[in-house]
Formats: sequence, C-alpha cells, structure tokens
Amino acid sequence: MITIKNVTKRFGGIIAVNDSSFKVEESSICSLIGPNGAGKSTLFNCISRVYPIDEGEIYLGDKRIDTMPAHKIATLGVGRSFQLTRVLDELSVTENLSLHTAAGFDFHLLRAGVTKSDKERAEQIMEFLNITHIRDLPMKELSYGQKKLLDLGSVLMSDPSVILLDEPAAGVNPRLLETILDRILVLKKQGKTILLVEHNMELVMGISDKVVVMAAGAVIASGPPKEVQNNKEVLEVYLTG
Amino acid sequence: MDSRKSIPIITLIILIFFPLIQFFPSVFGDQNYVLHLMLYAFYYIVMTSSWNIIGGYGGFISVGHNAFLCIGAYIAGYYSIMWGVSPFYLILLAGIGAGIFGFFVGLITLRVKGPSFIISSIALIMILRIVFDRWELVGGASGITLPYNSLSVEFSKFPHYYGFLILAIITIYMNWYVRHSKFGLALRAISHDEIRSAVAGINVKYIKVTAFVLSTFFIGCAGAIWADYLTYVRPNIFLIILIAANVVLMVILGGMGTVAGPIVGTIIFIAFNELILSYLGATELNLLFTGLLLVVTLLYFPNGIVGTLRNKGKLPRFLDWG
Repeated sequence: MITIKNVTKRFGGIIAVNDSSFKVEESSICSLIGPNGAGKSTLFNCISRVYPIDEGEIYLGDKRIDTMPAHKIATLGVGRSFQLTRVLDELSVTENLSLHTAAGFDFHLLRAGVTKSDKERAEQIMEFLNITHIRDLPMKELSYGQKKLLDLGSVLMSDPSVILLDEPAAGVNPRLLETILDRILVLKKQGKTILLVEHNMELVMGISDKVVVMAAGAVIASGPPKEVQNNKEVLEVYLTG
Repeated sequence: MDSRKSIPIITLIILIFFPLIQFFPSVFGDQNYVLHLMLYAFYYIVMTSSWNIIGGYGGFISVGHNAFLCIGAYIAGYYSIMWGVSPFYLILLAGIGAGIFGFFVGLITLRVKGPSFIISSIALIMILRIVFDRWELVGGASGITLPYNSLSVEFSKFPHYYGFLILAIITIYMNWYVRHSKFGLALRAISHDEIRSAVAGINVKYIKVTAFVLSTFFIGCAGAIWADYLTYVRPNIFLIILIAANVVLMVILGGMGTVAGPIVGTIIFIAFNELILSYLGATELNLLFTGLLLVVTLLYFPNGIVGTLRNKGKLPRFLDWG
C-alpha cells in the first residue's frame, strides 16, 4: 500500500533519514521503532509531505505521492496524527472533527462550516472512540488523553485508507491506552492500513504485522515482530541506546 | 420576532430612511454633518469587515490594506475621467482591479506570517506611495481631480450614503458567510496551525489567497465611492498608515474574528473620536483619548468587546452572529 524507496532527508549537514526503504502492506499494521533521533517522525513527515524529501520516492499504491502537496496526499486517503496533539483549542470539538471535511477546491467550501452530515459522522466517530461525553465541552477543558482521542477521531473523519499514527500511546494512562489499542485493531479489521511510530514495545509487538527498525536515519531491520526481536543489530541499538 | 433578527432589521430600516430628514430642514435642521459621519462609519465598516476576513479569521494582520483602497480609488478616478462617467459606475471594476492586485500581493506576502507579514504590508504602502507620487499618468503627487456631483448641497451626500450602506451590508453578509462556511472553518484552522490544516486535506495556499482577494475586493469597491466623495484621489490621502491602523484598531476594539465585532468597534471608535473632537476641538487630543479608550477597553475586554462578551456568555442576542 505504501512503498518507501531509498528516501533521504537532510537538514543542512544532518542526514535525518538516510536511504531508507520498506513497504507497508494493505490492511496491515506496521510499526516504525527506534531510539530517539532515529528519524521515525521525520519519515512520517516526509510521507505526509510536511517535509519535502531530498532523494528517493514514496508511493501510495502505484501513485507517487512525494511530489504532491500535503493536502493532495490527504485527499488521496492518507490521514495522520501528531506526536504532540495538534487539535485546535480555538475551535469546538465538532469543528475540530469537521475540519477534515473542509478539504478541497470545489464548491463544498461554500457549504456550512459544520453540516448535518458532518455532525452525524462526528457522532459516529465519537461513539467509536467512546468520547461522546466531550461533545459539548470547551477544548480547553479536555484532558491530554481526550485530546489524543480527538486527534485520532479527526483523522478518521475523512475515512482514510491509510492511517499514520505518531506515538498514539505517548502520555496516556493505561486505561486509555487499552481503548486506543482496541480501536487500532478494529480499524485494521475494517481494512485500514496503519503505520505507527511507537516507543511502547509491548504495544508494538502485540499488534504489529510488521516492525521496521530505524537507527541514525537508516532502516536496520524489518520483518515480523518475533524476527525483529531476535535481530542482533536491533538488540545492539537498543542496548547501547 | 426574535431580537437577533428584529433589531438589525429595524436598524436597517431606520438607516434607509434616515437621509430623508434632509427634505424637512425646518423640522430637523440641516443634518449634513450627521450624514457625513454615518457614511464615514459605513465606509469604515466596509473596510473593517473586509479586513476581518483575512485578519480576524485568517490571522494575517495587514497594516497595509488601504493600498487596495487606493488601487480602487485610482482605477475609478482614472477611468471616470477617461470615459466621462461617474466613479459609481466603476465600483465593480475598482473592486476587481483591487482583487487582482490583491491576488499577486497575497501570493507573495502570505508565505510569511506574524511580524514578517506585518512588515510586508507596511512595505506595500511605502512602495505604492513612491510609485503613485511619481506616476505622471495618474497625476503624480497631485493626483486626479474629479468633478462634483450635480446635486444640491443638502442632498449631495445621498449617493455616497446609500452606496456605502449597500456595500457595508454586502460586506457584513460576506463576513457572516465566511464565518459560517467550510471556507471560514478552514481559514480559522489555518490561522492557528497551517501544518495541521494541510494534512487534514486543506489547500492552505488557495484558502489564504482567496481570503486575501475577497478582503481586498470590497475595499477596492469602497475606494471608488470614497474617490467620488472626496472628488480627488491623491497618494497622500490614501496611502497613509493611519487608515490601516484605524481599521486594525477598530477590529481589535470590537473583537477580531467575530461578525459583529468590526461593526461595534467602528461605531465606538468613530463616535468616541467625534465626541472628543466636539468637546476639545481639533487639538489632536482626540488621538490621546482614543489611545486611552483602547487601553481601558482591552484591559476589561481582552478579546474585544464582542469577543469577550461572547466568551462570557453575556453577548446580547442581536449581536450574536458568530
């Protein structure tokens, strides 16, 4: 579904992602792991075109997407969340969710900000994530965990086929983590392709079909969780930090 | 009827019929100056409501939007002389001209935000001032002189009064429409987080530039009527930072990013200024007191009058337009 082909991203003299390649199969969960500074989030930003890449190619199916602007990639069905939630405090909960339906050039931009169908879809998403109780709360009153779920919810609003989740478990309590984990598995069952960056090894090894390990910007191993767990190079990277 | 609708409708009816008091000078006296003040307020409401689209919703604080007023005024002034028609017939052309100019300015300046954008908007005024001061085709620093209208003094302001009133209604409606549309939602999201908006599928550049063009179009239209009202178009009248500063301050006073805020801010600003002038005369003390008004207001209404009252749930229903 997603093919990363020899991607390199530099920031001045620093090579954040170095000639990295891997594939994410359709309707699977692929986890991107590695120590801090390995280039995981940078690669995420390259896939969603927050950063343009310097070398290589990125494909969604057979469509090359690294040359497209970020909004175009989103409209092709790639949704993403952020490591630090980027829900907008100045908008309401429903407006935050409806934002993903405000995309595009055409005349639906002239429609109401939050349409009836947006409200219905938002309601479905909130029910799916068990957050209907936050519907009318001001954004400033939401906890970090609730914002994390809302962030995930806003990604789901446009019904993307590929979901990029940047550290969905970071900073959330165990109960909420269970909810997030459960919902990710349901999304996989629904046929979604999920690529996630995560530090929580228990979560990664428990739900992933494939694990890709990065270190110093390069992919050093990839494969099923058990295979990666026993990879010497991976163990070395994690043991030496 | 709901007060949200009834009060604006009654106000509008009063405003439509108000100039007719000029037909009864023996009863009401000569109200030419009041008419001037009112059309002056409508003129500024067009500018503040237009500015609010890009400044209030989009978060791009332009201190150079009078550049588009100037472009509109010059287009209307120049072609009215060339073709021998009233600038009133050229309002749309002035708006389109300002919008096209706004498109190119927006493409360049909207790449940056915050202080860089503010400085770029000031630079625009300075560049245009140099250009128009030296552009002989449009009269250089002396500008263009336009003919007076043929109406008698007591009725001479009628065309401008109604012209600005209609334009103000259209602009307020546009402001309301943007606020409640997907376009406006995207614009508000962009003002807070462009990256988040882009990955949500919003074409950030398209939305920003369209909002900019929309805001410049109406200001350009206002320029055409203002040129006819003044009967001259000169760089030193249109290209001064005071006009843009007034617009920004009026919107801040009323409440940025609200529909009613620019209207409330404009009315209070102009009324207060006139009040001080009538008591203290033309001593420039009005500037000091206007500054004080802003400081005191923002101390108690940090999000502007409408914005703060809305946040506190105390906004009167007739002003609650979003």
